[in-house]
Amino acid sequence: MENNVAEAKLRILREAIRSNVEVVRKGRVKPKPLLKPTPPLWLWGSLLVASVTYLAVPSLVVSRGKEPSSKISGDTTSAAPIDAQVMQAAVPLSTPARLNRAVLPLTVKRIVIDPGHGGKQHGAISESGVSEKDITLDIALRLRRLMENGSLEVLMTRDADETLGLEKRVAFANAHKADLFVSIHVNWMEPREIRPLETYYVGATNDPAVIKLASIENRESGYSLADYRRLLDKIYLDTRRDESHRLATAINSELYQSLSLINPELENRGVKMAPFAVLIGTEMPAVLAEVFCLSNEDDVKLLTNADYREKIAQALFRGILSYTNNLNGPEKKVAELWKKPTKPSVSE
Amino acid sequence: MEETNETICIGIDLGTSRSSISASNGERHVVDSYVGWPLDMVARKLVKKTVLVGREALDARSMLDLRRPLERGVIKDGSAKDEEAVQELLRHLISLIGIKHKSKTRGKVRAVVGVPAEAFRVSRQRLRSAMDGVADSVMLVSEPFAVAYGLEALLHAMIIDIGAGTADFCVMQGRYPTEADQRTLPNAGDSIDERLLKLMQDRHPEAQVSIHMIRDWKEKWSFVGEPKSRVIVTVPAKGKATEFDITDEMRAACESILPPISETLIDLLSRVEPEYQDQVRNNIILAGGSSLISGLPDAIEKACSELGGGRVTIVNDPIFAGSDGGLSIARDASSADWDKLSL
Repeated sequence: MENNVAEAKLRILREAIRSNVEVVRKGRVKPKPLLKPTPPLWLWGSLLVASVTYLAVPSLVVSRGKEPSSKISGDTTSAAPIDAQVMQAAVPLSTPARLNRAVLPLTVKRIVIDPGHGGKQHGAISESGVSEKDITLDIALRLRRLMENGSLEVLMTRDADETLGLEKRVAFANAHKADLFVSIHVNWMEPREIRPLETYYVGATNDPAVIKLASIENRESGYSLADYRRLLDKIYLDTRRDESHRLATAINSELYQSLSLINPELENRGVKMAPFAVLIGTEMPAVLAEVFCLSNEDDVKLLTNADYREKIAQALFRGILSYTNNLNGPEKKVAELWKKPTKPSVSE
Repeated sequence: MEETNETICIGIDLGTSRSSISASNGERHVVDSYVGWPLDMVARKLVKKTVLVGREALDARSMLDLRRPLERGVIKDGSAKDEEAVQELLRHLISLIGIKHKSKTRGKVRAVVGVPAEAFRVSRQRLRSAMDGVADSVMLVSEPFAVAYGLEALLHAMIIDIGAGTADFCVMQGRYPTEADQRTLPNAGDSIDERLLKLMQDRHPEAQVSIHMIRDWKEKWSFVGEPKSRVIVTVPAKGKATEFDITDEMRAACESILPPISETLIDLLSRVEPEYQDQVRNNIILAGGSSLISGLPDAIEKACSELGGGRVTIVNDPIFAGSDGGLSIARDASSADWDKLSL
């Protein structure tokens, strides 16, 4: 018996180590220590010059000479505190660098909600005939209603069952200078027993399943190959990507915490990068949430329940709230943002 | 304690409310998972430290930017300060066992960190990076697995680790648990606190209470079923110290976690091969701070009665069961294994 326990421990320990080694291998690029040593005094002067110059030259804020989003604003004279965070921003002027969110205050005033598919484009369809386009619109309308008590301007790419290319959705969000873009989709996956929950933000991926999903979701884009290349060049706009990641994490976390209570089979596949056209083309932090899986008929049963769709909308709402609340530190409360609603759409 | 340059193994239970550490040099400590920085120069002068950790931070909270960096068992996202707080917490734990940060004479530190199953799933890389500079090699395991390993409850057992942020379930079936063998619920100590606070505000709107007072009451008097005595608290109401009987509120808040725990237990049991379900049902082990709620084992056994009965026990030392289990793992892993897990 004693030998059995010892053997079991050894076997289990080996598996635990193997699992950890995989994590180590995936994360071989070592993150910087979170606590940075204080730089010597002689560095402060040059840091001040470098950081003020950095803030004054927009083309250096993001890579490839692209202007930063108009929602990222700041006073170059007052927003240049000499602290450890500026250390990260102060880089050689010839090197485009990641924008530290602490350097410039970010604001969220306008959000675009994008219900996936619509009109002739049904998106995924369940065996029982439920269309992705109907579900995404229903959840989006619920989300808009929830957000209507605040001062954030809420826009929708569509608020009816109409055909709308991805290019138009992107153009709509960009033209309205939205601060956030949330695209709502529903998954369809094999094997059908699985019930994945996934939230995407822009980025390259080697995952064949994600590439396949992106190619399906991008089908109705209206972009040419040349357009794609131009758009893909923008993937490395790090600031937008970092903010998109934060937004995706907040939304994914709320979705899983809320929905897994009702749907314990829900598999949280977490936050992932993917080159979805709506994420590449938009110029603000953008996420695409695959909130459900139409290939699983048990899930479909849940989805046909209005209460469950309301839960999804509430979770999206809380995720957005959580992101905006943490945008510039805990002192910036969302109550400041949530005061009055507006609701134009692409079709208006 | 004198520092040596020998290799030291440690097990850490990184919890939402409390974190504990057990080390191969015999040291064991527990701290409240709070980290705070003085708000301004006046506060810095008063607290005489640049950062405070644990109860010390909680007690001086009015002067601090106080963080409880683990929310629902995962490092809060979106704030570098919370990540920094996790690292401060880990450094503090390591310092408690006599290891000096960046000391040239210190030996290698091999750490097993037990985290809630949910954190294990979504933020392993972030947790590893938080350990950078704190340990030399790190292994992350789910908290209930660490408990099971420490107790050698490796076959036909279910561990329910009820902490502050989450309740973590793990069925041990003689193998390293997969995601299918584990569940995480947000219904744990914090959700009881929130419920109790709301009940207090609804039923006794004149009572002035804070979440910290609620937590203290829960730790002293939490129960499900029948209370050992009435729960009477004294709090200010319109500035005057007033007694309130909160027995019913305490019961309602504590019992609010029972339905989801019972449902999850039954669901996980139903996934165990039928011939072993009976053994698992009779080997349910509770761990974590919230397992100390009076009457909880009986209530869970009652939930099992409709399945044919069951036996629920509490680990001998709920506070250190996770870190002791982590220490066992750290000791059992070979040097070659640790080399693969270096930071």
